[in-house]
Amino acid sequence: MSIRRSSALAGALAGALALALALTGCGSSDDGTDSAGKGKTRVFAADNGKIKIPAAPKRVVATGYAVPALIEADAPLVGISSWKRGEPMMGKKDLAAYKKLPKVAGEQASETNYEAVAEAKPDLIVIGVPAPVLGDIDVKRLESIAPVVAIGPTKPSAWRTLSRKQADAAGALEQFGAVKATYEARAAELKKKYKDVLPQLKLGHVGAFGEVSKGTFQREFGGSWGTNVAEDIGAHYYGKVKKAGKGSRAVSEYPSVEELPSSLGKADALTYSVEADGSVPESVKYVMDSKLWKNLPAVKAGKTFPIRYTEAATYGQAMQTLDAVDKAFAPLLDS
Amino acid sequence: MTAAGRTPRGAGAGRAVPRTGLLAGGLVLLAAVAVLSIGIGAHAVPPSEVVRALLDYRGTDDQVIVRDVRAPRALLAVAVGAALGVAGALIQTLARNPLAEPGILGVTAGAGFAITVGSALGLAAGQAGQLGFALIGSVLAALLVAAVGRRSPLRLVLTGVALTAVLSGVALGLRLMLPDVFDVYRFWSVGSLAAREQAPLALPLAAIGVSLLGALLLSRSLNALSLGETVAHTLGAGVARARAAALVLITVLSGAATAVAGPILFVGLIVPHLARKPAAGSVPWLILYTMVLGPILLLVADIGSRVLLSTGEVPVAIVTAFLGGPMLIWAVRRYGAGAL
Repeated sequence: MSIRRSSALAGALAGALALALALTGCGSSDDGTDSAGKGKTRVFAADNGKIKIPAAPKRVVATGYAVPALIEADAPLVGISSWKRGEPMMGKKDLAAYKKLPKVAGEQASETNYEAVAEAKPDLIVIGVPAPVLGDIDVKRLESIAPVVAIGPTKPSAWRTLSRKQADAAGALEQFGAVKATYEARAAELKKKYKDVLPQLKLGHVGAFGEVSKGTFQREFGGSWGTNVAEDIGAHYYGKVKKAGKGSRAVSEYPSVEELPSSLGKADALTYSVEADGSVPESVKYVMDSKLWKNLPAVKAGKTFPIRYTEAATYGQAMQTLDAVDKAFAPLLDS
Repeated sequence: MTAAGRTPRGAGAGRAVPRTGLLAGGLVLLAAVAVLSIGIGAHAVPPSEVVRALLDYRGTDDQVIVRDVRAPRALLAVAVGAALGVAGALIQTLARNPLAEPGILGVTAGAGFAITVGSALGLAAGQAGQLGFALIGSVLAALLVAAVGRRSPLRLVLTGVALTAVLSGVALGLRLMLPDVFDVYRFWSVGSLAAREQAPLALPLAAIGVSLLGALLLSRSLNALSLGETVAHTLGAGVARARAAALVLITVLSGAATAVAGPILFVGLIVPHLARKPAAGSVPWLILYTMVLGPILLLVADIGSRVLLSTGEVPVAIVTAFLGGPMLIWAVRRYGAGAL
């Protein structure tokens, strides 16, 4: 008798546990995985905490880096922030969508138009600004309009995971996956094309964010804006930051122009960031006009390559970077 | 009899030797600080390579750093320091106001306004563009102030203050509305001597050189003017001509210095005060001393800007601001208010 009671109790406990697990699993997930069902919600882990959001959002407002990512992913956008810096990297279709969408915020996070956001009647707001910039936004006021998820940039190369997360929050993973697959196929193709020349080279990169007024240049290492896409096709950028900081400071530094020889003297080849139209930014021109640059072994050997679209933050944009890298490195195949 | 060669406030001929000695000592100190400036930087260059770079140039990286990066920077510090120091001495003499400094003519505000407008129009890109706009803006502002306020020192000062307020206000409004313009301006607005080696400096440096020579030639006439207009007239000095010439020199000196280095405050104010006591009321000596002390102060500040922080260089204008305040207080305490 006692055995039967114990068995019944154990069975009841096991059933209750199974039910509890099933209930908690439904509509909530820490890793942002979707749960089907119209009108249902789920818990999404974002920079601003674990937020309850619609499982399938219908009206999304995006700001900052989330703008190009969600346009590209065909998310159901009803309002976006201005994102002029990304315009040169948008394809025709995406640019047309970008221009057509109502602008509910300016270029700066502090230029958020809360009334315009409310008028858009979103059921989800995706903020794509760095964590320190979140302080410029009245998140509580936005939360009174719709659930807010902040998914901002961290390390430059992290755009892959961040854009996925933004697309996931907006329920647009399908199109995201298609673009990602296209990128990865093209990257694999180029990796094969350059396998005999690129991995053997010790590369250095000069970025566009040096400050001429301070006499500094931007040295970018692996995983930075100017290098991460080239790394996908087998490029190897040597060295590391002397004093690593947070975000982009973990993969780039700003030495004095006097330190050009010690910083880039061991490079077999050098790449440098140029604008989308191919023009050389002032900060890079300052470096290239220096006699110290002209004295570098890689420069004397003629191994310098301009890279366009170094600020790519989505797979679609990075497709253009891949083409630019291919065009830049093409002379290596001739030698 | 003209005012030429006069040494007011009882300064006698017996002071000539100490003055000359002080000047020689100042020149030696200037040479030493200049050599130190060329030897110090982000990249360690052995002293022997510094000497070789100057005397036996072979184009190695170390020698390129010395010859093409540091030497032009030191030369710029000498020119800008001398220009601001002498411009300060001239404006203080002309306005007979110890608190006058070159910016009072609206030079800094004019340059900042021109750069703001130029950036808004997309024309002030790059070092050459900014230099051109700063030069035009500073000269136009100074000419306007000089034209309106030429009749009396007080009117000159008030006109300068008023124009500075107007130009600064309008430029600030533009910068607040246009973040990209603010971005360009913020780098220029803190005066610095770094990374000017590739800028087109020949014209502004030549203008500074000619103006320094002009200041020396004019200094004898200003000797009389420093005693007041009535006395100057009595002594037979050409007051109107001397004042006009001084205004032109101040405009060119401070305009060129601000254009190439951005606003560097305090040098034009403090250097004349440091030189006034040893000059003993003689404007020619005051000009000579400021011509040496200005570069020394700016070179020392520039060396400090490179070594003070382990995180990197700070703009020289911040160092001069830190140095200038205590030095002014020291000068007042050391020489008394009368020295001012």
